Amino acid sequence: MNFFFATSTLTQLIADKVNHGGGLINNLEKPLLAFMVFIIMFGMGATLSLKDFKNALKRPKGMLVGFLSQFGIMPALAFGLSLVLKLDPQNAIALILVGCLPAGSTSNMFAYFSRGDLALSISMTSASTLMAIIMTPLLLVFYSNLSVFGIPSLAEQMSAEMAKIASAAGTVDPAATIKFQIPTKDIIASLILVLVPVIGGMILLKKSPGWAKAAEDTAGFMGVIVILFLLMSVVARHGDLLVATDWKIYAAAILVGLGGFKFGYLFSWAIKCPPRWRRTISLETGIQNGPLAFAIVMLSFKEPLMSQMLWLPILYAAFIVCTSSIVTLIYRKVGKEDYELYVNESVQRQLFGHFYRHGMSGPKVAE
Amino acid sequence: MSMNIKNVADLYAEAARVYGDRAAFATRQKGKHWKPITFQELYEAGLNLATALIKLGVKPRDHVGLLSDNREEWITSDCAVQLCGAADVPRGADVTPDEIKYILDHCGAEVTFVENLAVYEKLKKVQSSLKKLKHVILMSREEKAPKGVHSLEELLEEGRKLREKGNRKAEEHMAGIKPDDLFTLIYTSGTTGTPKGVMLTHANIISQLTRIPIKISPLDRVLSILPVWHIFERVFEMYAIYNGCCTYYTNVRNLGDDLKAVRPTFMGSAPRLWENIHAKILANVEKAHPVRRALFHTAYFFSRMYQGSLYFITGRKIDLHGRNPIISAVLGLLHIVRWVVVLPFYGLFNASVLERLRLAAGGDLKASISGGGALPPHIDEFFNYIGIPVLEGYGMTETSPVIACRTFKDLVIGTVGKIIADTELRLVDPATGEIIYPNKKHKHGGRGIKGEIHVRGPQVMKGYYRNPEATKKVLNDGWMNTGDLGMVTFNDCLKIMGRTKDTIVLISGENVEPVPIEARLLESPLIDNVMVVGQDKKYLTALIVPSEEGFKEVGIKGSVEKLSKDEKVRAMIAEVLKQNISAETGFKAFERLQDFRLVPKPFEVGDELTNLFKLKRHVITEKYKKLIEEMYRSEK
Repeated sequence: MNFFFATSTLTQLIADKVNHGGGLINNLEKPLLAFMVFIIMFGMGATLSLKDFKNALKRPKGMLVGFLSQFGIMPALAFGLSLVLKLDPQNAIALILVGCLPAGSTSNMFAYFSRGDLALSISMTSASTLMAIIMTPLLLVFYSNLSVFGIPSLAEQMSAEMAKIASAAGTVDPAATIKFQIPTKDIIASLILVLVPVIGGMILLKKSPGWAKAAEDTAGFMGVIVILFLLMSVVARHGDLLVATDWKIYAAAILVGLGGFKFGYLFSWAIKCPPRWRRTISLETGIQNGPLAFAIVMLSFKEPLMSQMLWLPILYAAFIVCTSSIVTLIYRKVGKEDYELYVNESVQRQLFGHFYRHGMSGPKVAE
Repeated sequence: MSMNIKNVADLYAEAARVYGDRAAFATRQKGKHWKPITFQELYEAGLNLATALIKLGVKPRDHVGLLSDNREEWITSDCAVQLCGAADVPRGADVTPDEIKYILDHCGAEVTFVENLAVYEKLKKVQSSLKKLKHVILMSREEKAPKGVHSLEELLEEGRKLREKGNRKAEEHMAGIKPDDLFTLIYTSGTTGTPKGVMLTHANIISQLTRIPIKISPLDRVLSILPVWHIFERVFEMYAIYNGCCTYYTNVRNLGDDLKAVRPTFMGSAPRLWENIHAKILANVEKAHPVRRALFHTAYFFSRMYQGSLYFITGRKIDLHGRNPIISAVLGLLHIVRWVVVLPFYGLFNASVLERLRLAAGGDLKASISGGGALPPHIDEFFNYIGIPVLEGYGMTETSPVIACRTFKDLVIGTVGKIIADTELRLVDPATGEIIYPNKKHKHGGRGIKGEIHVRGPQVMKGYYRNPEATKKVLNDGWMNTGDLGMVTFNDCLKIMGRTKDTIVLISGENVEPVPIEARLLESPLIDNVMVVGQDKKYLTALIVPSEEGFKEVGIKGSVEKLSKDEKVRAMIAEVLKQNISAETGFKAFERLQDFRLVPKPFEVGDELTNLFKLKRHVITEKYKKLIEEMYRSEK
């Protein structure tokens, strides 16, 4: 590909970089990124057993709420943000992609430390990961072809851009229609490809729980180390990108996560979920599987689109670690009393068995 | 929730009123469940039993024996004795017939509880000499009371019937309790001499309940493992009642399981237990997969960096010499930088690795509370750094017991925290009697100078029962001489530095505290126990118990006896001594150990050790006289 293709200064800059050899990430980083995705997904699998999927079916209410917030609220929020912030189509699609992803495995850790319901979090993560094979491409196609308030859909914007550039470069007959399409098949393929290490991890857990724990721990810190490395390396080589990036892109990268927390919480509060579930669903909604975004973009889009669409997920992944840490600390503090009530009651119920009587553990707590 | 209590009987009554149906105590049953007793049930049982006791002839201010380990019936019996306006004289089930004889005779008990038939058998051996003793009550519900012995069950039933008929004697007795009346009379075995009966009053214990600076709530769970007849555990249980929180009885055998099942939020114990848990955690780490082991060490490293800086920045780094403010500012700045740099790594490893270690202790432990002896510094640091704050307290039976206690806010590692409210502290030069602290004559008012700890406050005992000479030795104008050596740090915390009586005076006149030397050596996994000797000698030596487990780890298997004769073991221990007690590790020349002997038998509780695992130095010295003499033969 050798044509300029950009809809903003940022995408222009990235396209320039692609044309002068090397995209956003170089040939050394690509396998590293792929390796990281593999390790993280493997580690995620190492925490899951078939029982978790079965358990998911046991709490239909929590799962339904989770499903609605993950595949209902998040994509709509991402779409809304892209409209309000008037993002260029590449970044808008990247943002919506982030919004349509399943929850990441780090959400389990954050749910746990926010005094949420770890089991619900695991169920939600596993179910959404499985459902993503259908939901992610479906939603992505839906939102990129959605036209509201008379604004052309993102796919139309992209097609127009591509046609404009192609005709300017004279490579294509201006009369021919150039149509941008979401590479649905590639996305499904990459989702399935990414599920392979997850299943590998699950098998490991079944075969050797000791090794699975090691894999889980390794994935945890490998993920952070690699993302830190990538971020530093990208920033070192493309520091100008940070400056060139419009505040709107930053706002989108940060707000999509924060908004997910906010709306996930409000939604579960509105339908009267217990506080522990609210915290869980909130974090589960806002924390998306960032590495999966890298995998999809790399496997499904060609340069320069690939580099242009990677930037926002990278920013998202970097910011979500900070925002979810802060939100977790807040939840932890706010949820102290409710969590202590819950633990005390459940411990006493379990310990006392038939000796347990109402009122032994203090004020009644829901759930 | 506010409670207006003036005595321990009030405590039980008010707890029933305020906390009613909440679980107060829980005991593991034979099946898988734990049986709880609520505050209301506890108080009602106490009233019934008290009524029966009064019928048996228990009068206000009587002394009632209570020979039992921790169990629900203990607390019921204590409650009943308190409601009678009497005081109990508690002792564990491992009491010897001689001790029973001495204690029950000395306190003049007419009624005594025995936990089970095993304890009763011991009592029977000496019963003929206990002229005053009229009634024995068997607490265990699983055993049948022999002839002439009351069963607790039967008395509860009798009391219930009496109360049904309108008997309100218990309430009358309760109304007559004065703050200065004893609530308990605890005979201390101590590290020296014959048992002394420590008289603790209602005012003493109530002062503690209202001043202990650690917040607990009805949502907390306390796991109880220390013997309740020891004042540290006793006050802990009283404090749990006061705060409406449930206490769960466990024991050493079930501790691992119970930690996970009960998920305690607080647990009080002696240093020995924390040492054991520490050893177990480390053993698990060593057994783990190499990746996980590496992760643990990395996590611990970051945590140490992070917490170390945090302690410094928040002024909780121990300061014995009064740091120069400019140096402090520079160091503080460096620590802030380090803290910021380490923060993300600490956050990550704390969440992914250290949390799993904390789960071994149930995962909800807000703090571990250590008392009844000095916690070795490396254990102290370990728990703090893995994220389980250690709130070390300091006190003694004679001060019912808390004198000082760390709080979350003033957690200065290496100290026992600040003096609790309304308690005065003085450090006295044991040789001259001069007051070192507080004393304006000294620079910094006497901070940073070692002295003997004297305290005065509402928790100080009334005296030793029927032993005015012993009382006079330690109590003077309300000031209690603890016999401990300490120093006030520049953080205004108290640091304990040994016992006056333990101080070894070498023939050269040098005073040596054996405890820091021993603590240092105990950090070695190869050493199970050690006692430094050298009173009136030219140099120090030590008696050492080699650790079976420690040597097994390095491939030398065998009993302590076998190890004590092994030349290789001797050589390895000599190396430990050389490396640990030297100028580089901060020990003076005369503190070095010139010789040592390996002891063929571990030190045991009740023999060489007190119930809190403190060395009974005189017992050990007597027992291993020959070994000690051997080490000084060349001296003469």
